[in-house]
Amino acid sequence: MIRVRGMHKSYRTGKLVTPVLHGVDLDVADGEMVSIVGPSGSGKSTLLHAIGGLDRDYEGTIEVDGRDLRAMSDVELSAYRNRHVGFVFQAFNLLHHQTCVENVALPALFARGEGMLSREQALDRAREVLGRVDLHDKVDALPTTLSGGQRQRVAIARALFNRPRLMLCDEPTGNLDSVMGKAIIELFRRLNEEDGITLVVVTHDPKIAASTQRTVRVQDGLVLEGAGDALEAEAAAAENSSNTADAEASAEGSADPESADVPEDPADAPAQEALA
Amino acid sequence: MRSARLFALVLANLRRSRNHFLLASIGIVVGIATFAFFLALGLGVRAVVLGKIFPLDKLEVVPRSLEVDVGPLRMGLGQDALDDAMAAKLGALPGVTAVYPKMKLTVGSIAYGGESLFGADLRSEIVADGIDPALLASEINKDGYQFVDHETPERLAAEPPKACTADAECGDKMYCGEPPGTTTPRRGTRKKPGPDGQPDQPEPAKVCRHFVPVIVSHHVVELYNGTLRRAHGFPQLNPDAVRGFTFDLIIGESMVETSNQDQVIHDRGMFVGFSDKAIPLGITLPLGYVQRYNVRYNGEDAAQRYHSVILEIPVKDDVAAVAKGVEDLDLKVKDSGAEEAALLIAVFMMVFGLVSAVIVGIAAVNIMHVFFMLVYERQREIGVMRAVGASRGDIGRIILGEAASLGTMAGTAGIVLAVTAGTIFDHVSARYVPDFPYKPTTYFDFPWWLIVAALGFSISFCVLGALLPARRAAHMEPARVLSGA
Ligand SMILES: Nc1ncnc2c1ncn2[C@@H]1O[C@H](COP(=O)(O)OP(=O)(O)O)[C@@H](O)[C@H]1O
Ligand SMILES: [Mg+2]
Repeated sequence: MIRVRGMHKSYRTGKLVTPVLHGVDLDVADGEMVSIVGPSGSGKSTLLHAIGGLDRDYEGTIEVDGRDLRAMSDVELSAYRNRHVGFVFQAFNLLHHQTCVENVALPALFARGEGMLSREQALDRAREVLGRVDLHDKVDALPTTLSGGQRQRVAIARALFNRPRLMLCDEPTGNLDSVMGKAIIELFRRLNEEDGITLVVVTHDPKIAASTQRTVRVQDGLVLEGAGDALEAEAAAAENSSNTADAEASAEGSADPESADVPEDPADAPAQEALA
Repeated sequence: MRSARLFALVLANLRRSRNHFLLASIGIVVGIATFAFFLALGLGVRAVVLGKIFPLDKLEVVPRSLEVDVGPLRMGLGQDALDDAMAAKLGALPGVTAVYPKMKLTVGSIAYGGESLFGADLRSEIVADGIDPALLASEINKDGYQFVDHETPERLAAEPPKACTADAECGDKMYCGEPPGTTTPRRGTRKKPGPDGQPDQPEPAKVCRHFVPVIVSHHVVELYNGTLRRAHGFPQLNPDAVRGFTFDLIIGESMVETSNQDQVIHDRGMFVGFSDKAIPLGITLPLGYVQRYNVRYNGEDAAQRYHSVILEIPVKDDVAAVAKGVEDLDLKVKDSGAEEAALLIAVFMMVFGLVSAVIVGIAAVNIMHVFFMLVYERQREIGVMRAVGASRGDIGRIILGEAASLGTMAGTAGIVLAVTAGTIFDHVSARYVPDFPYKPTTYFDFPWWLIVAALGFSISFCVLGALLPARRAAHMEPARVLSGA
């Protein structure tokens, strides 16, 4: 389904050029569930955004279902994001002034062509999808009244709204405690197994990585197949004690349930780190 | 359907940010109100000035040598270049649809009467001119009143006036008086007839006569009602009530001693109506009467000595060409002041148009700031919308849609404000400002195109202000704001 070849990506901030990825090759088959691990700042999000059609400023090719993303116009790429991809982010990124059902139906606003639904159809479908993530009773709630795990499930429902074949999840459990995180991963596995949705999950959680069929590692600008020694060590460390997780994990993946339930616009810690 | 859905989003966003927008739009509201108010004022005043005071669809042509008339003291007349032949030439100029030769009464004359109107008889030197009655037939001849020459030689020959001794013996709108053209030695003010209709002194054989039809310009009524009546404590005149009012006309008599003639003509006049074609200050008679009076006192030549010719030019754009043609005939266009008035009003409208443009321009800069701030505040939201399928164009359209909606609302508010202010202004003028000539019931004219222009102005400036913020929003990298906790 996904075919990345020779992908190079550098960020330019003024005169400063930060090379991030240099020569990434990656294949993801239809129906696969892949986890991506790697140190903070290694370019995992960058890769995910490019695959999801949020960023076209790279070299090399990314094909999804045989279609070269960079050859698409902005409108075509937007339609691709709308119909074929579901994004799930660490920060949930819900619109806090809209109810859960409105958040979930948001993709309907930007549908084109035959994918267009009436407002009623869209809200009906949003309710149905919220039911699938066990949130029937939160349809008209505002996201700010929900727990972190519930918010992430609303975000997942939004990603599922247009029945995508591909879901791209960027540290989806990063703001959740381990119990909630586990439930989310369970949900992903169900979507993968029951609905055949292809999932690419960026994670710092070695337990999540270990639970996927396949793990790739982004390091030094390249994608390496397999978790490698470091991951196994992390997994082992996590088995023994959650306190001995390495520096990155404790820095990025906050496991504190209190801070996970972020108010309004959560502080953008890793983004700030990335911009610094 | 898609755009309808996005529009709903636009409205929701406007509602959500209403406090920001309320502040941002005050400048636009004030600017548009200024624009609409002063433009409507200019248009309204122009309609009064050019429509009633100086109609622009007419040119008055005078001989080059003839000095402007100064009322009862008539200046020495130069050679008269305006005769029937010249009038025909003027009528042949392209763009001219009608020609009205006018002849001034060149002999001193006095009007006397008015008790029924003013409560006392007035005696006044009059300025009079004559105009071809055929040109006013449709305008004046109604309700039983007629502006016609009743005493052309042909008519008198066909229907000789019958003898009478009292007004009652004659028909409607007729009186018993001296035969047409009779002159009698001047002997001071003519005595008012006694209650029985008989004059105090025996008169020569009398005949039934039509009153001399007289029309006046609206200017006269305006001037009277606006200022004159106040100075003299006279009642306000309703123009309709003036029709049918009769008075004595004494041709050849003047308050200016040197203008007095030895022989005078006693006729009686009747107001039959109002017309813009009448002399602005004075009375206008059918041309034949004036010709006969002038011939009586100034000789046969006077019959064709027109003092001016009014040209009717319905298409404004032809006026300049006609004026040129007039110059080529060695005549000149009498300056009515219309051009200056029009220029003055145009300058007034331009100045306030400019002032409102500056206000709206500054407001647009303010709007730009607000939108930049909003785009910054909403960058995560914009990123989310991009992630779920919004194109750059969608984002730009949402921002510009907000600006256009804001512009529509602010523009509407501005127009409502302007109309309200205009209504209050008119009300205050009607209640507290004393009458003055041409005092209008409304000073404002809000034509549909002014409303459309004000709305368009408002919308375009709001959209203009939001253009750069919308561009920034559309080109924001969604990835940056979406990743991270
Ligand atoms: N918009 C950006 N502009 C400049 N540099 C960026 C931007 N986004 C990410 N980077 C840099 O690119 C590198 C990779 O970032 P990212 O893909 O977010 O890493 P990861 O998700 O693996 O933590 C980091 O060094 C980060 O600082
Ligand atoms: Mg990341």
